Amino acid sequence: MASNSRKYYKLYVVIAVILMVFALLIIAPYIWMMLTSFKSTREVLYNPGKVMPIKWTLSGYITVLTKSPFFSWFKNSVIVSVTVTAAVIFTSTITGYVFSKYRFKGKNFLFWLVLSTMMVPSQITMIPRFLIINQVGLYNSLQALIIPAIVSGFGIYLCRQFCDEIPDSLCEAAKLDGAGDFRIYASIILPQLRPCVAALAIFTFLDIWNDYLNPLIMLSTLKSMTLPLALTYFSDAHSTDISAVMAASALIMLPVTILLLCFQKQFIKGVTISGMK
Amino acid sequence: MKNNRFVYLVLLPIFILLAVFFVLPIVGGLAISFFDYNPLRAINHFIGFENFGKLMSDKIFLKSTANTLIFVGITVTLNIFLTLVLAQLISMLPWPKFRSFFRVIFFMPCVAPLIASSVVWGGLYATKYGLINNMLKTFFGISPVNWLGTASYVMPAIIIFTLWADIGYNIILFSAGMDGIPTDFYEAAEIDGAGMVKKFFYITLPLLGRTVSFVVAMTIISHFQMFAQFQVLAKLGGPENSGNVLTYYIYKTAFQTKDMGYASAIAVVLFVLIMIVTIIQQRLNRVEWGY
Repeated sequence: MASNSRKYYKLYVVIAVILMVFALLIIAPYIWMMLTSFKSTREVLYNPGKVMPIKWTLSGYITVLTKSPFFSWFKNSVIVSVTVTAAVIFTSTITGYVFSKYRFKGKNFLFWLVLSTMMVPSQITMIPRFLIINQVGLYNSLQALIIPAIVSGFGIYLCRQFCDEIPDSLCEAAKLDGAGDFRIYASIILPQLRPCVAALAIFTFLDIWNDYLNPLIMLSTLKSMTLPLALTYFSDAHSTDISAVMAASALIMLPVTILLLCFQKQFIKGVTISGMK
Repeated sequence: MKNNRFVYLVLLPIFILLAVFFVLPIVGGLAISFFDYNPLRAINHFIGFENFGKLMSDKIFLKSTANTLIFVGITVTLNIFLTLVLAQLISMLPWPKFRSFFRVIFFMPCVAPLIASSVVWGGLYATKYGLINNMLKTFFGISPVNWLGTASYVMPAIIIFTLWADIGYNIILFSAGMDGIPTDFYEAAEIDGAGMVKKFFYITLPLLGRTVSFVVAMTIISHFQMFAQFQVLAKLGGPENSGNVLTYYIYKTAFQTKDMGYASAIAVVLFVLIMIVTIIQQRLNRVEWGY
């Protein structure tokens, strides 16, 4: 391979340069967003040719933080995302364990039911789901986002696949030693599922943190909103204040981007493990 | 193992939630499509297939369906082409640090809320101060274009945005598949004098068959359901409904016009489109791929 490397060195440099150009196209919107968020709106409008801010200012950020309930939105997003992620991990792992390691009547049918929930697009279920949430009095509350998301068909499917790889003898040995069913789950199954749980946690958190359609349907008052929905309201209300809109976008995009940069390996592994979003 | 008490204890709450929030809505969604249903009215009449009959003469529905198919067709084709090429280029690099650097950069837009990146791109496309018009003016002297306000430009603008936002996933999936191909295949081909392009078409692509068919199906399904960027970049369906798609039309009909029966009928059409893709993919999956 060493001689190959030298032979192809020029080629590799060309490839790297091509990829660099594409990478630049990917990050350009981020750079523009950050630079615009540090300009004054006056400057954005009257000096569009200048890329760098002539005068750096935090006025956009100040508008976001003082003229909108940004911290409530942030808090709502954290509450919903963290609760759902924790709940999904618990329900998926324990249900996956039951489907993988227990024999019971109707197992195949029930598992088929779980799988079929993954196939149906949210557009067909969102209208009845809205009516149900309305009926039980959860409309415009964070529970409306949390409760329907507690069970994830995809999560159950993923965890069952991983449980199937754990040898049955491990569970049976523990049973002979007198461990109860929940005990086996907690002390034998759960530790073995670590890579699967990590992937599931990352993607559930992202899904819920970024979710726009559900909040759009279920929430109505400004203070109860989560960040993605709030951003559209903020950008409509401040549509002339471009630097404030970009500051708000930056504040919403940065947490997940930083998360990605900190946990690169887990993210990339998570994508390949879960096969899909 | 067997322990019915434990099994029921776990499954009962899970299936109650699934029944209330998945099974019931699926059945309900189909049922509502046969009603003239407005949530604000006390009595809603059963009207049989009337909602479905209305679809055929609804110009906005036909336009949205055409737009959806055009959007999905063009975006997915470009997406698969771009991601296969980029994944191949990345996995050819001999430096692991560079490979993971590029994968992470391309993945960045995938983790951001689609709605927030749409808002940012709304700024990039802005006529007066947007980066794109600025670049075009500086480098090519082209006068400002109203990208999102011109019927023929809205869809291309959204397609470009969607490519930017979504290529990261497939790049990672494809390069994971490429990493799994044994290197002796390439070495053997090299001895036979195969060049880069030949190696890609005769080794990488056939061996990636199953992955490609799965990724294509998943990408099509997810693109059929895209919504946020249309709401932001094609305001109210865009000029002359040029940016109206089924997801947006369903949302608007259900939650603004409050004609939930008709909206459900449109949703059933979308569901059927997605089911067709799913079935084709499953058929393809039975084909013998691999080595």
